[in-house]
Amino acid sequence: MSQEVNQQVAAAEKTMPASNDTIMDVFVTGARKGWKVAIDNIIPNVLMAYVCIRILNVTGVLAWFGKVFAPVMAIWGLPGEAIMVILGALMSMGGAVGVAMSLFNDGTLNGTHISIVMPAIYLLGSKIQYLGRLLGTAGVPGKHFPVLLGISFVNAAIAMFVMKLIAP
Amino acid sequence: MEDLKKKALKVPVSGYIALAVALVIFSGLMANVGGGWTMFDFDTLNGKFGLMKTAKASFMGQGGVGARDGFLFALSLAPGVMLALGLMEIVEHYGGLKAAQRLLTPILRPILGIPGICCVALVSSLQSTDAGAGMTKALRENKDITGNELLIFSAFQFTAGGIIGNYLASGSALFSYMTVPISVPLAVMLVMKLFGANMMRLYCKMFVQEEK
Repeated sequence: MSQEVNQQVAAAEKTMPASNDTIMDVFVTGARKGWKVAIDNIIPNVLMAYVCIRILNVTGVLAWFGKVFAPVMAIWGLPGEAIMVILGALMSMGGAVGVAMSLFNDGTLNGTHISIVMPAIYLLGSKIQYLGRLLGTAGVPGKHFPVLLGISFVNAAIAMFVMKLIAP
Repeated sequence: MEDLKKKALKVPVSGYIALAVALVIFSGLMANVGGGWTMFDFDTLNGKFGLMKTAKASFMGQGGVGARDGFLFALSLAPGVMLALGLMEIVEHYGGLKAAQRLLTPILRPILGIPGICCVALVSSLQSTDAGAGMTKALRENKDITGNELLIFSAFQFTAGGIIGNYLASGSALFSYMTVPISVPLAVMLVMKLFGANMMRLYCKMFVQEEK
């Protein structure tokens, strides 16, 4: 039997409402997965991001970054500090959300900025992890990694332009 | 084997219903409709934290910084993540993902230049990066896709990997601060994923020798 059929049968069995679970049971199963994601993934990542931002704030590096990158980020109508969201995204998506939230709380970013940077967080998200977790697993030859990374950056840049046009 | 194949591809009606309801809920279409219809809106279902008595802030307080503030903020995300994954579980249970696969299969070749057999892996990759990567590896090992198709498919998955799962999980923290409906960034990202894959398609056509 081919892998295709195997996969599809597996997928079918998984999606068939065969068991006696009620819709509430199914929801609770999913919510439990959400709890695990929140505890194992989101809380540690966000906490890490907040500590990084704290260090950058206390040392004055954040303000300096803000000045240096102001002209670049201005292309998308963002303050210079927004570069930290982008850099955070390359490490982890949850971390970048934490950085964005932290910058929103101290008034550096507003709702429009958040809307503009949102797609970039995910289009560039977890790039460093995904080199191994995705490209490595799927067996993509290493010589193509630079092109794949380049595509992600171009995607993020275009997406921020689009959001700048759309977001009020 | 043919029987199995047919059985696998049969999508129950509940699948299409589940898929449609999920699209409505996560798109924010019903956010401003009013009345009972707002029950089909993610933000409405997620609700909000109450305010501390005589205060302006929720339990996270105001002016916090560092690890403690990060912890409370991250904790405030948990309900949204649990709600989103709970809803996704229902969609999957009633065949919503199968319905999506069925609808996508005929259009993969024209829009991405990869065969319809990639559909299961593609839909899975939208939810979980690791599931998508594992299935993609299997497709290549079985010679169901060529080396170039692997590159194109990987380009699609690599940018905004596991997008639905990740966006609904961590992104939900920022949803209420955005000045656009939650579906707008999602739509932009999906379009950019397609765009990126097609850039890779072009690159493959021009520079990469096809290996069988």
